[in-house]
Amino acid sequence: MHELGEQAGLLLPVVVPVAAGLAVLMAKGLDHNRRGLLSVVLGTLLFEVGLVAWALAAGGRMVLWRITDSITLTLSVDMVSRLFAALTSGVWLLVGIYSVAYMAHEHKERRFFGFYLIVLGVLIGLDFSGNLITMYVFYELMTLTSLPLVLHEGTKEAVMAGLKYLFYSVAGAFLALFGIFVLMQICGNVDFTPGGVIARMEDGAMLCILQSSIPGHPVREGLFLAALFCMLTGFGAKAGMFPLHGWLPTAHPVAPAPASAVLSGVITKSGVLAILRVIYFVAGPKTLEGTWVQNVWIFLTLITVFMGSMLAYREPVLKKRLAYSTVSQVSYVLFGLSVLEPQAFAGALSHVVFHSLIKNALFLSAGAIIAVTGRTQVKEMRGLGSTMPVLLGCYTVVSLALVGIPPASGFVSKWYLATGALASETGIWTWLGPVVLLVSALLTAGYLLPLTIQGFFPGKDSAKGSREENPSAKKGEAEGAGGWMLGPIGILTAGALLFGCFPGGLMALLHTIGAGVF
Amino acid sequence: MRSAANLTIPGICGMGMCFQIDGFRLVYLGIAVLMWVVSGVFSLEYMAHYEKRNRYYCFFLATFFATVGVFLSADFYTTFIFFEIMSFTSYVWVAFDERRESLRAAETYLAVAVIGGMVMLMGLFLLYDLAGTLRFDELKGAVSGISGASRMRLYGACGLLLFGFGAKAGCFPLHIWLPKAHPVAPAPASALLSGILTKAGVFGIIVVSCGLLRGDLAWGTVIACLGLLTMVLGAVLALFSVNLKRTLACSSVSQIGFILTGIGMSGLLEAAGEKSGLAVRGAFLHMVNHSLFKLVLFLCAAAVFMNLHQLNLNDIRGFGRKKPLLMFCFLMGALGIGGVPLWSGYVSKTLLHESIVEYTTRVASFQALGGSALPESLSRAPKALLWMARITGTAGFWRGAEWVFLVSGGMTVAYMLKLFVALFVDRHPLRQEEFDRMSSSYMRPASKGVLLGAAVLLPLLGMTAHQTMDQLADLGQGFFGQTEKAHAIAYFSPENLKGGLISIGIGALLYVLVVCRWMMGETENEERKSDGRSDHNRCYLERWPSWLDLEELVYRPVIQVALPAVGGAVCSFVDRYVITAPLTAFLAVSAVVCRVMDQMADILIRTARRTTHSQLPAAFLAGSPHDGEGLRDSSAGGKGAGHKGRGSAVMKRQEEIILALVRMKERIQRNGRLVEESFSFGLMLFAIGLCLTLGYLLMVFISQ
Repeated sequence: MHELGEQAGLLLPVVVPVAAGLAVLMAKGLDHNRRGLLSVVLGTLLFEVGLVAWALAAGGRMVLWRITDSITLTLSVDMVSRLFAALTSGVWLLVGIYSVAYMAHEHKERRFFGFYLIVLGVLIGLDFSGNLITMYVFYELMTLTSLPLVLHEGTKEAVMAGLKYLFYSVAGAFLALFGIFVLMQICGNVDFTPGGVIARMEDGAMLCILQSSIPGHPVREGLFLAALFCMLTGFGAKAGMFPLHGWLPTAHPVAPAPASAVLSGVITKSGVLAILRVIYFVAGPKTLEGTWVQNVWIFLTLITVFMGSMLAYREPVLKKRLAYSTVSQVSYVLFGLSVLEPQAFAGALSHVVFHSLIKNALFLSAGAIIAVTGRTQVKEMRGLGSTMPVLLGCYTVVSLALVGIPPASGFVSKWYLATGALASETGIWTWLGPVVLLVSALLTAGYLLPLTIQGFFPGKDSAKGSREENPSAKKGEAEGAGGWMLGPIGILTAGALLFGCFPGGLMALLHTIGAGVF
Repeated sequence: MRSAANLTIPGICGMGMCFQIDGFRLVYLGIAVLMWVVSGVFSLEYMAHYEKRNRYYCFFLATFFATVGVFLSADFYTTFIFFEIMSFTSYVWVAFDERRESLRAAETYLAVAVIGGMVMLMGLFLLYDLAGTLRFDELKGAVSGISGASRMRLYGACGLLLFGFGAKAGCFPLHIWLPKAHPVAPAPASALLSGILTKAGVFGIIVVSCGLLRGDLAWGTVIACLGLLTMVLGAVLALFSVNLKRTLACSSVSQIGFILTGIGMSGLLEAAGEKSGLAVRGAFLHMVNHSLFKLVLFLCAAAVFMNLHQLNLNDIRGFGRKKPLLMFCFLMGALGIGGVPLWSGYVSKTLLHESIVEYTTRVASFQALGGSALPESLSRAPKALLWMARITGTAGFWRGAEWVFLVSGGMTVAYMLKLFVALFVDRHPLRQEEFDRMSSSYMRPASKGVLLGAAVLLPLLGMTAHQTMDQLADLGQGFFGQTEKAHAIAYFSPENLKGGLISIGIGALLYVLVVCRWMMGETENEERKSDGRSDHNRCYLERWPSWLDLEELVYRPVIQVALPAVGGAVCSFVDRYVITAPLTAFLAVSAVVCRVMDQMADILIRTARRTTHSQLPAAFLAGSPHDGEGLRDSSAGGKGAGHKGRGSAVMKRQEEIILALVRMKERIQRNGRLVEESFSFGLMLFAIGLCLTLGYLLMVFISQ
């Protein structure tokens, strides 16, 4: 075993934002000093990006806390951690910059920013987790620390939504905990190992194949699969997978836009990360291949994909529509993971990145529109193209990317997902999967593009009417959204577009990860 | 065969892009440049009065690049990327003027484009899975070995591709966007939409039919039948239309049908072991011709629209009088598309006609030999399919097809004649003088120049068919997989002329009998009647039943109402109740169960106290309050009777004190008894325990 302090620096990216966040929460003086608050927040975020970059470059592993001989909390950095941590810290910084402008409209900024920083630290900890227990600890912490972001508004709906979020997350986490117990029974608190450490013996028992000091106890295959299924469903709650997807459409509309952006873009991905770790780094894809768990899992993801986009298509409130869209899109990722095929795996991970960029951009745009015009329903948003063309342009580009129109990024991930699914050996799902993905893409076009169309082509008769209708529209409407808002949205949009045109580097990285786990 | 230049850019969009230039692409590149330059120059005048011109020009150029990308692509991946970009950039043209009907048409256009694109993508997924490559030159080899179940999968993939490309090409039953989008788009854009964007769809169909499934009987039959159907339907729609640009749009549908028929015939001829040169050259030349016709015709329509802002034939009739240049240009286009000898359309239509005739004779001779045209592979096909195959394997079917072809050609002549007469022969009942006055200023010189240039090309090509069109065909046929040079065809030999003339005859007949008799009638407008001259002015009637619209009748209800209603209802149900209903039930049940478990111990104890462990006499427990009551009653009854009034308050107080004392006494007695009992019980237990312990000790000692 490694000793404490081998790479103690890994702790810094986790601790610094948490400490900064706590400090912000304590410092009452910052309430009257917005400039000071923002400089602390943005400074921390920037510093954090540097720290994460350093940690990713340095790599390594450290034991955080040895609770008992068999239970240790470990941080370590591998390729998957690098992908998720880089994405998280980058997105966090951009959304932080956006919040500077957005949160000016809101109350209790200090509380928001405090928790915003804490969640970042916890998420980085989750990304760096080296074994199941560590991951579980950070997972629960993430739920608890991100709850205040949902509760921020303090209205009755916000509180109810927060409770719903808490209930779903905690219920999911406990389901997963059961699975963790079973897996620990088999192989102890083993480090994440690409390709998994469990194999089926001749007598049908599942046994750890790692030569470790702790001898594992074989577990019957039925129990093992049930445990895996519990973990999939449980961690799937965070990722918005049917049947525990219900919190997303409730929590998103009430949270402030930056919070819904990171909830949807990053925090749902931690559910994906957890499932990825369990299936590909502990259990191993081989143990799942062709079992009922895989089939049910694929079925659930496809149901979610279709249901999410269908409900988004019928949803009149913009932010809720985007939330349903997240339900559907994150399950694209899970579908890619569930077919257990290298191409689809690469497609799934690329969709993690693309969807994160795209959905953040979409939520931030929605937030900007709502902040500037005060309208929440899609049909009230006619003719935005004349007042905020750049914003709507960005919205359009990322919408097309999400639909999967080449050369924007969604197309690339969809290509890999579908070709991977077709190449896999999953029976009917080989072709039904891609069909569902494409039907959902059609619906995606159906629910995202109307805003663009009505925005840029409001129609002759309604162009003037709608503006006169709203004399109460704020003065800001003429000015559109400011640079603090447009900047991050623009960067995210550019990312969504450029990754689509030149995915070479990213895909190479993902293929190396894929080569390791299969 | 000319050498083809390749360009591969790896890494873009994951799979990399692949371009190629060969004869066909060179020709289409040339046509694209020509069309964009001509309509661009024309747009300068046409768009002069519109707002947001920059938007138009921006997407005008973007669409150009995307279209060129489609035509230069050498693998389906690249084709798809540019195809999608093209669909979305050209969307802006259709929605451009933001009128209600434009937005509606644009919606249709977008829906067809997106659905077509996604279906095509599914086809590409399947194809890539089957073949492992999407490069045009490698696909043929990669799929040639596929048979059995995978073969059906290949057909499925190709069918999906056909759906996607056919949607753009305007093939029946996905032609719905053309008649909607063209009338509302700016006319120079309509020229491009109709002239070249539809050809991008045809491009894909060619790759599938002449590359992937070259010489496949079933596929050839399907394409040819679709072509014939599209051809007739488009022509009928065009004949019925009373809107200038709508007629031209429907005519596009019909002409695409001609091209598809040619592609289908090439496949059939290949399958029958014949040379497919005629069909291939006919299809290719008709593509080129149609691009040029539609350029000229739509620009003529543009000239009408930018002066009058109307397109209904009744409103614009007579506009072309005293405008010789406009008349000349329109006439060139009309004669060309009508297939009149000496104009270029005649050449391509003759080739297509010849190819049908050739296949008919081939099938007839095959039948005469007693053979069946059915391939072995179809022997296990479903009955309906088998039946279809039998029908399409007879010479009679193809003789019918030949007549369909000729009649469609005739209808083409008829509707062009209708347009020509309306524009240049009829007089407008009210505004004719106004129209005549516009004769000098209706078009700028630059627009006139490019229009004339484009129009002159048509007879020039048609009259020098052997020098120009044959050369073009030689260039283009390589793309269709046709390598050997075709023998020279005498376009103006009697047999060939006969076909063309039959068409023209049918056309003239149709015009006289149907258009003049049935589709024109007295005006019902009161104003015009009162004008006095209206008796002589018959107007064009809308004879097409307005409910008979595939889009309004089927597609929109299904996609906008039925699917969201059903899918949405199911999803909402699942979303709302799958978790909540079991959860609520679980909570309700578990609440009851938990309450029961919570009180289980209490209930046990209470029952025990009532029954087995009752420590007070049951009668006393039940009766003690009653006893107290009886006591009070008796004391109140005994003493209260004599002392009413003044002493009653004192009496009451005394009674209460007595009552309290009695109760206290009872309680003390009870508690005392309890203590006694408990103590004795405890003592007893202690004694038993002591005995047991002693016994145990005794046993231990004894055993030792």
